[in-house]
Amino acid sequence: MVNSAKSHDVPVDSSVPTASLESILCTEELQRRPSRRPDYEKENQALVKLASALADSPTTIFRTLAETIQDITQCDSAGLSLLTRDGKTPHVDGKRFYWPAIAGMWNPHVGGGTPRHFGPCGDVLDQNRTLLFTHFERRYPYLMPVNPAAEECLLVPFYVDGQAVGTIWGIMHSDRRKFDAEDDRIMASLGKFASSAYQALAHIEELKIQVAEREKAEAEVRQLARGLEAKVRRLIDANVVGIVMWNLEGEITGANEAFLRMVQHDREDLASGRVRWTDLTPPEWRGHGEQAVADLKATGMFQPFEKEYFRKDGSRVPVLLGGALFEESGNEGVAFVLDLSEKKRAESALRRSEAFLAEGQRLGQIGSFSWRVATDEITWSAELYRIYELEIGAPVTLEVIRSRVHPEDVSLIEKMKMVGQEREGGRDFEWQYRLLMPDHSIKYMHAVAHATRDQDGQLEYIASVQDVTARRLAEEARDKARSELAHVARVMTLGTLTASIAHELNQPLSGIITNASTCMRMLANDPPDVDGARETARRTIRDGNRASEVITRLRALFCKKDATTESVNLNDAALEVIALSLADLQKNGVVLRPELADDLPLVTGDRVQLQQVILNLVLNASDAMSGVDDRPRQLVIRTEREDDRARLTVQDVGVGIEPSGVDKVFEPFYTTKSGGMGIGLSVSRSIIERHHGRLWATLNDGPGAAFSFSIPRTPEGLARADGIRNIQAPAVASPGAA
Amino acid sequence: MESCYERSAIDRILVSVVDNDGSVRESLPDLLTQFGFAARAFSSAEEFLASDCVDQTRCLLLDVAMPGMTGPDLQQELIRRRQGIPIIFITADRDMIIRQRLIEQGAVECLFKPFSDMALLEAVNSALHPK
Repeated sequence: MVNSAKSHDVPVDSSVPTASLESILCTEELQRRPSRRPDYEKENQALVKLASALADSPTTIFRTLAETIQDITQCDSAGLSLLTRDGKTPHVDGKRFYWPAIAGMWNPHVGGGTPRHFGPCGDVLDQNRTLLFTHFERRYPYLMPVNPAAEECLLVPFYVDGQAVGTIWGIMHSDRRKFDAEDDRIMASLGKFASSAYQALAHIEELKIQVAEREKAEAEVRQLARGLEAKVRRLIDANVVGIVMWNLEGEITGANEAFLRMVQHDREDLASGRVRWTDLTPPEWRGHGEQAVADLKATGMFQPFEKEYFRKDGSRVPVLLGGALFEESGNEGVAFVLDLSEKKRAESALRRSEAFLAEGQRLGQIGSFSWRVATDEITWSAELYRIYELEIGAPVTLEVIRSRVHPEDVSLIEKMKMVGQEREGGRDFEWQYRLLMPDHSIKYMHAVAHATRDQDGQLEYIASVQDVTARRLAEEARDKARSELAHVARVMTLGTLTASIAHELNQPLSGIITNASTCMRMLANDPPDVDGARETARRTIRDGNRASEVITRLRALFCKKDATTESVNLNDAALEVIALSLADLQKNGVVLRPELADDLPLVTGDRVQLQQVILNLVLNASDAMSGVDDRPRQLVIRTEREDDRARLTVQDVGVGIEPSGVDKVFEPFYTTKSGGMGIGLSVSRSIIERHHGRLWATLNDGPGAAFSFSIPRTPEGLARADGIRNIQAPAVASPGAA
Repeated sequence: MESCYERSAIDRILVSVVDNDGSVRESLPDLLTQFGFAARAFSSAEEFLASDCVDQTRCLLLDVAMPGMTGPDLQQELIRRRQGIPIIFITADRDMIIRQRLIEQGAVECLFKPFSDMALLEAVNSALHPK
C-alpha cells in the first residue's frame, strides 16, 4: 500500500469523531507491566554493531538502527521519525516527520511520515517524553490505511543539542507481546545513539557539501591557474619582448626565444649555467646592473634603463631593461628586455641626416625657416642666422626681419604675409628680395615657401632661403662681359663694313654736294634758273634726310646698348641687313637671292642682336666665296616656318667647312681668315642661345655651306610653374628676362 | 630720250654718266649742264654700250662697282673696241690702291664720292684737254 501518510496534512474533519489523546495513550502501563530481564550482552553487541555501522557505512545507519531496535525489542516494526522541513530535509522547525528507515512489517511505508502537530511523534515532542500509544489510528485517521495497524507503539524522542529532532519507535501489531519498562530503557539508550547518528549524518552531509564546495573551488582555481598559465605562456612565447627569469645569484634560469635571439645564445648555453648576467654585460654597464640589484632588494623591482649586452659573437646589442622579483624579499624574478637596435639605427640615421642638412645648408648658403601663420611663430635654421648676420638662436620677429631687409623690398614682406594668410589653405610661392647689411653691402635672396599643415591642422610655411648674391654678381659680370664681347664683335664687323658704310653715307652726301653746287650755279645764271634751283634744293633736303636715317640706323646697329626685348619680324630684319651690306656684297661680286617666307612667325628678342647675327652670317658667306670664279657667287638668305619656330638660313657656294669642323667653327677664336679675330660665330651662337634657339652649320650637297638658326616663337622662361607665385623685387636687368 | 645725234655739235660736248646709283644719275647731269656740257646718264655699262651715244661721248663718268659689267670691265671693253673715250671713275670706295690701278690702266682720274663740283670740273677739263 502506498504511503497514505504522504497525503499530508489531512485536515481534521470535525464531523468525523476522533479519539482523544488520552484514550490512545497507555504510557503508565510501561511501569506497571513486569519487565524483562535486561540482556546487557545483547545490548552491548548491538551497540558495538551500530557503532561500527556508523563508522563504516554512515549512510545506512538509520536502516541499521531500525533493524537493531526491532531486534533488541523483539517488536514487529521499528523505525525512526525525523522532523523535516519539507519531508526531506531534517530541520528542528520542521512541519513533518519523515520515516527514513523502517524495519519489520511496516517496511513498505518507508518514506512516509506524519504531520508535526497532529500525530504520535508530534505528541512525543510536545510532551517531551516517551509515550506508549495503542491504536493511534483512532485519533489520527490518516494512519488508518497504514497497515497493519499498531496494537501498541512505543515512541522515544531523541535530541541534538538539546533540541528534539525526531523519534525512534517500535510497533507491536498484535497481542503477542506488550512493551515494558525494559523496552523503554533500551529505547532510551538507542535514542541516544540515534542522536549521535543523526548528528554524524548531519555532519557528513555538511562535510559532503563542504567537500563539494571545496572541490568546486579547487576546480575553479585550477581553471584559473590554467587560464593564467596559458596567458603567461602566451606572453612569453609571443616573443614581443625578451623575457628572462633569473635569481639574485646572477644565474639565468629561463628565457624566451626573443631573448635568445637578441643575444644569440641557445637554450643549451643557458641551461648549462655557462651564461650568467655578468657574462652578458659589458664592463662599463656593470654599475647599472648593481644599482638594479640594489633597487630589487629595496623595492622588489627596478625601473627600465638602457644598457648593452654582448652577443655570443662578441658584438653588442643595445637594450631597454626592466624587471621585478616574483616575491618581495624573494630570490627569483623576471626581467623584460627590449631590443633597441632599430631605434638606435633610426636615431643615428636621423642624426646623420640632420648633419647632412646642416652641412648642406652651410655649403649652399641656404637657410630655412618655418612660419606658423596663426601665431606668427618663426623658427630659423642656423644657416639663416648666419646669412642675416644675426646671433644664432636669438628670437626672430617680423621686426627683426624688417631691420635687415632692404627698405625698398620691405613691402614684399607684407605681400608675403598677405599671401600666407589667405585662408584657402595657402599655396606655395617664391620671391626675391635684398638685404641691406649693417655695413651697407647688399645681399640678394631667393626664397621658396611651401605651405603645409602641422599636426594640429594649423597652416605652417616651411621655406628655403638662398643667398644668391654671388650668383647674381656673377651673372651681372657675365652679362657685362657678354655685352662687351658683343660690342667688340660688332666693332669688328664695323671694320669690315667700311665699303657699305661709306656707300650708305656717301650716296646721300654726294647727292647733297652735287645738287647744292648745281643749285648755286643755276641761281647765278642770267636769268637765274629758279625752277632748276628749286628742284636741286628739294633733292638736297631729301638726301640730307636719307643720310640722317642711315646714321641713325648705323648708330642703332653699332652702338653699345643693353639688350631689349620686342617682337621681331626676321624677314624685315634680314632685309635691313641686306640693304646695309649690299655694297659690300656687290663689291665682292656676290649675287643675293632672298627667299623669305610669308608665314614666318614673329619671334621675341633683341632686334639689333639678331641683325648682328644675320650680318655676321652674310659677311662670312661673302668671304667664303671670295675665291670662287667658276660659278656665280650665289648667296641665299632663306626664312621659313618650322612648327612654332622661325628659321633663317644663309647659304653660300664658297669653300665650305671640313665635316669635322661643323661644330668647331662656333668655338671662340676659331678663324680661317688672316686678320680675323674669330669671335663672330661664337658670339652669334651665344646670342641665338640666349634667344632660346640654336645656330648650326651644315655642308651643302655641292660646294659651300649653310648656316642656320631657329628661334622659338615664345621664348622659354616666361612660362610659370603651376602654383608658384612670383613676387619679384626690382633686380638687375638680365638679358632675355621677362 | 633724245638721241645724241640731235644735239648741235658746236654747242656742247657730250659727257656720259654711267652709274647704277639713281641719285648720281639724277644730280650729275644737271651739274654738267651748268658747266656747259651736254650730259646723258645710263644705269649700266650694258645700257651705255647699247646706246647710240658711245661715239658722241667725249668723256665718260664711270662708276666702279656695278652689278653685271663693272666700270673697269667697261673700260676694258672700250679699249678693245678702240674707243678712246677718256674715263673718269667715280666711286664711294676710298681705296687708293684701286685708284692707282685704274689710272695705270688709262683712266684720267678716279674721284671719291662725295666730290666737289670744282674737282669734277677739273677732272673733265683734264679729260678733254690732255696735257
